Amino acid sequence: MVWDVPWVSRGQLSRLCPLQLLVPPSLLAGGVGIVLATFLENEKVSISIVLGHAVQAVEILKEGDDEMKQRLSCIFAPEESKAYSPEELEKRKNILKTWLETNHIPVTEQGESGRTLCVAGVLTIDPPYGPEECSSSNEIILSRVQGLIQGYLEKQE
Amino acid sequence: MLVPVGVLRLPRGPEGSSRGFNPNSPRFQALLGELMTVQGVRANLRQRYLQVLGAARGHPTRFYLRAGVQVDAVFSAADVDAVAFQVDGLRTPLGVQAAALLRYTDVLAYTFPLE
Repeated sequence: MVWDVPWVSRGQLSRLCPLQLLVPPSLLAGGVGIVLATFLENEKVSISIVLGHAVQAVEILKEGDDEMKQRLSCIFAPEESKAYSPEELEKRKNILKTWLETNHIPVTEQGESGRTLCVAGVLTIDPPYGPEECSSSNEIILSRVQGLIQGYLEKQE
Repeated sequence: MLVPVGVLRLPRGPEGSSRGFNPNSPRFQALLGELMTVQGVRANLRQRYLQVLGAARGHPTRFYLRAGVQVDAVFSAADVDAVAFQVDGLRTPLGVQAAALLRYTDVLAYTFPLE
């Protein structure tokens, strides 16, 4: 997985040649490139993307631990979900999931750490699980579920 | 003249309500199960990559080109076919170009700070 690649210092990136990264060729063959996140001292993050055609070999020096995966997932979290802590998001997700199941709507958890709810296999809900975070290719189902969630959230308040 | 034809009894057919296409059936899993998981992985990676591109917009970016050449510019857009990057304010030794296209094949890597 891309996110298992450890940080690369900016010095290494600017030299480019000593970058040793290893990824299964099948994943890289169709891939655009490799994304690296460098965590700087002042809590800032620097993102480096090495394009696929420039990568000769990829070697994983150290697998990412759960804390690193959590940190990486939070980098590109949509703005709204930064207002909620991971525990709050988990709670919101579970409440919504339970409510959907009570209303006989099939719902499963998907994605890394089960962040995304999948409704009836055709609609997904991302954190923080509001009507705006619903995605589906089916407009009718999308508007129905958005209406349901809107009503449910209004009742909560 | 009516010719009797042997009756070929097939094993149990698909469930009545479906069209016979069950992604959870053992046959489907054996034939195409791995493809589906790889597709899921690819979809997630693609989504991450698009989020990265979205986050890059408007940020000052350093592009590492071939022969050790580095140029700084403000990242503006990348196209879907991975042909070129569009940047604003490209700083070159000849001056600052207000808008420019950098060919994908010329760029080895690029880096930008978040926020």
